[in-house]
Amino acid sequence: MNAMEKVAWAELLVCATAVAAVGLLVPWLGDGAMGGFGLLGFLGFTALFLRQRGNRVITDERDTQIQRTATGLSMGAAWFTLFMGVTALVIWANQERDVVPTRVLTWLIWISFAVLYGVKGLAGVVLYRRHHAA
Amino acid sequence: MPRKKEQGLTNCIRDLRTAASGMTQQDLADQVGVTRQTIVALEGGDYTPSLTLALRIARVFGKPTDEVFQLEQG
Repeated sequence: MNAMEKVAWAELLVCATAVAAVGLLVPWLGDGAMGGFGLLGFLGFTALFLRQRGNRVITDERDTQIQRTATGLSMGAAWFTLFMGVTALVIWANQERDVVPTRVLTWLIWISFAVLYGVKGLAGVVLYRRHHAA
Repeated sequence: MPRKKEQGLTNCIRDLRTAASGMTQQDLADQVGVTRQTIVALEGGDYTPSLTLALRIARVFGKPTDEVFQLEQG
């Protein structure tokens, strides 16, 4: 498994852990469960996988192609989530003649981030498996 | 999207590598500037390299590119 495949797995696992933590905390903390999304901050440590060791190549053209595809898919999914969410909120606010609570927007933004990294990690893992991982 | 597997594109990298005094995948990867996993994917026919990488590989073995990579008539 090369460095970028480890990054993809880390993105998928950290994102799944964050979503699971939020899901488990909601019954007790309500909106406070959003704090569970803070676990996404651990993604910052994925840079450790990309440390240069000796003269070995860390990433190459195959990694670039896979990451480009995974990023494109994840950006699409996250934007879709965000815009569909905002659209639904606008329709709801218009029909109910009410204001959208800030907490709903906060949930939407966190969920969009989770989708972004979750889809990116999943797409990366699948593409590496499909293109002969070793 | 990673380049799709080209139908009919084969290579003899594994044969050339083993013939070259037992050159390892890592040795070849280091010489052409890619990861070992990319060499594994190339040898398995699961990855179509860029033209630059194909030329670099051919240069390592001292062969013309079309002796290392073959495209069947389609």
